[in-house]
Amino acid sequence: MGAPSEDRIEITRTVIPNAAIAAQVRTDGDGAVATFDGCVRNHSHGRETLYLEYEAYEAMALAKMHEIAAHIHANYAVCQLAMVHRVGRLEIGETSVFIAVSAAHRAAAFDACRYAIDTLKKTVPIWKKEFFADGAVWADGELPPVPAETPAAKPASN
Amino acid sequence: MTVKVLYFGRLKELSGTSEEIVEVQDGALIEDLFARCSTMRPELNKFRASLVAARNREFAPWSTPLSAGDEVGFLPPVSGG
Repeated sequence: MGAPSEDRIEITRTVIPNAAIAAQVRTDGDGAVATFDGCVRNHSHGRETLYLEYEAYEAMALAKMHEIAAHIHANYAVCQLAMVHRVGRLEIGETSVFIAVSAAHRAAAFDACRYAIDTLKKTVPIWKKEFFADGAVWADGELPPVPAETPAAKPASN
Repeated sequence: MTVKVLYFGRLKELSGTSEEIVEVQDGALIEDLFARCSTMRPELNKFRASLVAARNREFAPWSTPLSAGDEVGFLPPVSGG
């Protein structure tokens, strides 16, 4: 079985050390490490992309990433998880997000990794601006689901 | 009472600021706050349908009541990854 969770959840402004992160999540109890490397491609909607800029609501983004990690530990038989997103200017070919999940068996590692990136793209407040030779646009995104009911007013200290 | 408003992405560009302190009536809801911000920055109105709000770092319906000192983010569709 895995050690107690030592997940690595980060937002960084520097190059993501993919290999080191993949190695970091791996323990002797694991039979599989699944990774997702989200990288900057050179085209978008038929236009040539020059570079991207990412911006995050960092405090909330980290909180949402921790929620994803908690959901994964509660629902998938995984050991450790790393989820690192970069912000600032990224060049073509650079990694914008790297996810690594270790597990005793591959199915849980694959499934949890897929859940992590799919959920991150829907619920984590990060935005991408695409720069082209002839202009720039904020990428089309997804509106995160919002709880429908009105919660009771809470103190501002939460 | 006052609350802190955060703008991101295209809203930040439009507003020319990433955050501001805004005065609202006691008992105001998030939608009242947005209306207040929109009177100061009318360009915000056209984005109303394509935004979600967050109160103290949690997604929150527009009908959520505010408390003094709350941090409210107006978030465009997210596009991380």
